[in-house]
Amino acid sequence: MATPPDPRVDELREQLKALGYLDARMDRFVLGGAARRSQAVALAAAASARLGLLAGLLLGPAAAIGLRARVPGLVTSGLDAIVLAAYLGVLFAVATGLVAAAAILAGAAMARRSAASAGFSIRARRIAAAAGLMVGLGCLLYLSLWWRAAMDAGSMSVAWTGAILAIAVAISLLLGHGVMVTVLAFLARSGLARSLQPGLPLSSRRAIVPLAALSFFGALAILIAAPRGRVEPAPPPLTVIPTGQRVVVIAVDGVDESTLDRLRRAGRLPTFDRLLAQAVATMTSDADRDPARVWTTIATGQPPERHGVRSLETRRVAGLEGRLQPDASGWSAITAATDLLRLTRPTIASGETRLIPAFWEVAARAGLRAAVVHWWATWPAPEDLGIVISDRAILRLEHGGAQDAEIAPGSLYESLRTTWADRRARAAAKSAAALMPDAEGDLAAAVRRSAEIDATLVDLSTDSHLGTPDLLVLYLPGLDIVQHALFEHPGGGTLSPSVAADRLSALERYYMFVDDSLVTLLGTAPVKDRLVVLVTQPGRVERPGAGFVALSGSTAETVRLTAPLTGVAPTVLHALGVPVARDLASSAMIGLFSRAFADAHPVREVATYGARRSIARTGSGAPLDREMIERMRSLGYVR
Amino acid sequence: MSSLPAFFTPYQNTVNRALERLVPENEPPPAASGGVRAASVIDAMRYTLLAPSKRVRAVLVLLCADICGTDSRAMPAACAVEAVHASSLMLDDLPSMDNAPLRRGRPTAHREFGEAITILAAFGLLNEAFGHLSREYDASLSNQLVTLLSDAVGLDGLVAGQAEDVLATEATISFDTLERIHRRKTGVLFSASATAGALTAGGSETDVAVLAAYAKNLGLAFQVIDDLLDVTGTTEETGKATRRDARKTTFVSFSGVDGARALAEELCRTACAALEPFGRRAAQLKALADFVASRRL
Repeated sequence: MATPPDPRVDELREQLKALGYLDARMDRFVLGGAARRSQAVALAAAASARLGLLAGLLLGPAAAIGLRARVPGLVTSGLDAIVLAAYLGVLFAVATGLVAAAAILAGAAMARRSAASAGFSIRARRIAAAAGLMVGLGCLLYLSLWWRAAMDAGSMSVAWTGAILAIAVAISLLLGHGVMVTVLAFLARSGLARSLQPGLPLSSRRAIVPLAALSFFGALAILIAAPRGRVEPAPPPLTVIPTGQRVVVIAVDGVDESTLDRLRRAGRLPTFDRLLAQAVATMTSDADRDPARVWTTIATGQPPERHGVRSLETRRVAGLEGRLQPDASGWSAITAATDLLRLTRPTIASGETRLIPAFWEVAARAGLRAAVVHWWATWPAPEDLGIVISDRAILRLEHGGAQDAEIAPGSLYESLRTTWADRRARAAAKSAAALMPDAEGDLAAAVRRSAEIDATLVDLSTDSHLGTPDLLVLYLPGLDIVQHALFEHPGGGTLSPSVAADRLSALERYYMFVDDSLVTLLGTAPVKDRLVVLVTQPGRVERPGAGFVALSGSTAETVRLTAPLTGVAPTVLHALGVPVARDLASSAMIGLFSRAFADAHPVREVATYGARRSIARTGSGAPLDREMIERMRSLGYVR
Repeated sequence: MSSLPAFFTPYQNTVNRALERLVPENEPPPAASGGVRAASVIDAMRYTLLAPSKRVRAVLVLLCADICGTDSRAMPAACAVEAVHASSLMLDDLPSMDNAPLRRGRPTAHREFGEAITILAAFGLLNEAFGHLSREYDASLSNQLVTLLSDAVGLDGLVAGQAEDVLATEATISFDTLERIHRRKTGVLFSASATAGALTAGGSETDVAVLAAYAKNLGLAFQVIDDLLDVTGTTEETGKATRRDARKTTFVSFSGVDGARALAEELCRTACAALEPFGRRAAQLKALADFVASRRL
C-alpha cells in the first residue's frame, strides 16, 4: 500500500524554491547573464534584455500569424511569414524588454520604500508578484486578442482554440514569472539581500494552478466577448440570364462637371453629349481624392474597409513580397523614417491587397467574356478571369521581357508586344491633337504624356485580340493627370488671369481630345445591343465635386438620379444578367434602366460573390516597382 | 549507488599527492610534556588534511575546471579548498563547539594534539590555503580566487554559519535559519569550489552561473544527506560519531527521514538538470550528484 505524501515535504519544497533551490531553470535564463553584474540597474537591464529576447521568440511568430489575417496582401509566401515574424520578434523583444525594465524598476522602487519595516520581505514579494502579474496579464490580453484576429480568417476548432490559449497562458506565466524573479533579484543586488527572507512562496503549485486556470478561462472570455470580423460565406454559383446586351464601361477620371457642361452647351463634346443624354446618376464621393481607393470602391461595390485598397501609395517592407497600406495620417512620419532607413519602400496599390472581386471578375466567373483595361489595382492579373490589361501593362509593354502577371491571358502579351511600336506611333500621332498649337515646356509634356496614355489605352481596348467581349471596361486617367498638372501646384498660390485662361483653354482642348477618343472606341452611331456606361470622378482636385454614372443605349431610361459610388458595380452586373450579391453596399440602380428592361429583367440576388482569390505568381513584381513609382511621380500621383 | 564513482579514485589520488606537497612532513617532533601528546602544528595540520576523505570539494573543483575546458591549472585551487574545509572541521570539532570525538574514522585533532595546537593548525591551514593561491596563480586570477574563498569563509560563509549553529544548539530554529546555517557551512564552499574550478579554466559567465546553480543544489543535498546519516547511519559507515545532532534541529526534524531523502534526491536531480547546457561533458558531475543522492558514507 502506497504511503500518502507527507505535506511537510511539499511545504519544504516550496520554501526551498523560494530560496532559489530546485526551480532554477527560468530564473537562470533570465538572471544567468545578469547574476554577475555588480550594479543593480545593470542586473535589471540584462534581465530585461533576456526577457525581451524570450518574448520576441515567443510572440513574434504569433503576431505574424495575426497580422497576416489582419493586413491582406502583407504576407504572400512562407518566406514573407518568416521575415515578418523576425521583424515582429525584434519589435516585441524591444517592447517587452522596455516594459519589463519599467515593471522591474517600478516594482523595486515601491518595495524599497518599506525596506526598513518588519514586513518588508512579504511586501517585497507581493509587489514583485504584482509586477509579474501585470506583465503576464498584459501579455495574455494581447495574445487573446491576437487569436481573435487570427480566427477572423476562418473558424478554428475548439481543440485548436484550447491548445492555443493554453500556450498563451504558459507564455504569459513565463514572462510574468521572469519579471517577478528579477524584481527580487534587483532588490537583493541593491543591498537588501539580508532582508529578503522567504515569506511568500515564489512559485507555489497551489497558487499557479488556479492562476493558470483563471487565466485560461479569462482569455477564453475575451475571445468570446470581443467583436469578431466578418467571416465570408462560400459564394454560390452564378447563373446568368442573358439580357442581350453587351456593356462597355468607360471610366474617365478628372471630369469637372461645370467645365463639361459648358463645353457640352457649346457643342464641343458631341460624344459626351450623346452618352449623357439618357440616364444619369450623380455620385458624391465624400471628398475622397485617392484614385486607387475610389475606383476600387466603384469596381467592387464595397467601401474601402471591405475591399481593402485604402490608398494609392503603399509600402513594401524590406524582405517581404507583401505590402502595408499606411493610410492613416499619423503614418506619414513613420513611413518617411522607415523609408529613410530602407526598412520600407514606396510602391503603388495592387490587386494583392484587394479582398473583393471587381464586377468584371464576377462577370467572368459567371461565364461571360470580360475585358478590363488599365483599371486601378488590377495587377497582378488572374489568368482565368477574362482579359486583363492591368495598370502595369503599359510599363511591361514598354520594357518587354518576361511578364509578371501584367497581362492575362499570358498569350495576349506576346500579341500586344509585337504590335507595340505601331501602337505607340499611332498614339503619339493622335496625342498631337490634344496640344495647343503653341504649347511648350513641362505642362505641354504632361499633356502629351497623358494624351499618349489615353490614346494607347483606347487603342488597346479596340485591339482585335480582345474580340467582342460581353463586358469591356476601360479606365482613362489622362484628364485627371492634365487637370492636376495644370491647376494643382505645390506652392498653392493663385495663377495670374492670363495664365489661368491659357491653362483652361488647354484643359478644354483635352476634353475635346477625350471626346474624340471615345469616338474611336464607340463609333458615332448607337449600337442596338450595346449599353454604354460612362463613369466619371472629379479626380484629385482640391475643390469638392461630384462624379456621375451615365447609361446610354436602348435599355437606358431618360432620367436624373443620385447614386452612391457602390451602386455602379451591381448596376453593370444587372445589365449583363448576373445576379446581384446581397452583401454589396448598394443594390442595382434599377431606375436607370428602361421600364421594358426592368420588367423583363427583375433583379435576381445571390448571398455573396465571396472573397477574391489570391493570384499565384512566379515573380515578385519588385523589378517594376521602382519604375511604377517613378511613373506615378512623373504623372503627379505621388510626391 | 552508495560507493564513490570509479572515476573518483584517480582524482582523489592526485589530490592527496598534491596535499602532501602543500603541507610537507615535518622533522621529528620535540619531546612532549604534560597529559597531551606533544606534536608540531604541522603534524596536526597533516593529521586532518591528509586523513582518509572523499575529497568531494577538491574533485568538484577539478571537474568544474575540466568541463569549462581544462583542469590543468585547477589543482592549487582544489588544494586550497580542501585546506579550508579541513581547517573548518578542526574548529567545528573543538570542545567549545561540537566537541566531536571522531572525524574521518579517527579521533578528532584536538583529542590527538590538544585544543591549542588544533586551533593553531586550523589557522595554519587557512593561511596556507590563501598563500598557496597567491603563489600559484597570476595576480588577477589569484585575486579573484582569494576573494571567492575569503567570502566563503567569512561573515556570510563558514564563520557566520558556525556561529549561528553554535548559538542554535538546543534551541528550536525555523527552517529558514536551518537553511542559512547549512548554506553557510556547506553550500557556500561547494559553490566556491565550482566557481573556482570554472575560473581557473577561463569559463564564461554563463558557465559560472550554470555551475553555481549545480553546486548550490548539490551542497544542500550533501548537507541533507549528512543530517540523514546522523540519524540512520552507523559510526563505521560515516567515520564519525552519529546521533551527535540529536540536540540540534536538522533537516530531518522538518521533513522526516523519507522526506529528507526525497528532497535530497530532488535537489540532486535539479543539480543535474542545471548542467544541461554542457551536454555529455557533464557526465562526471552528474555521477557525482547521483553519488551524493545515494551516499551512505
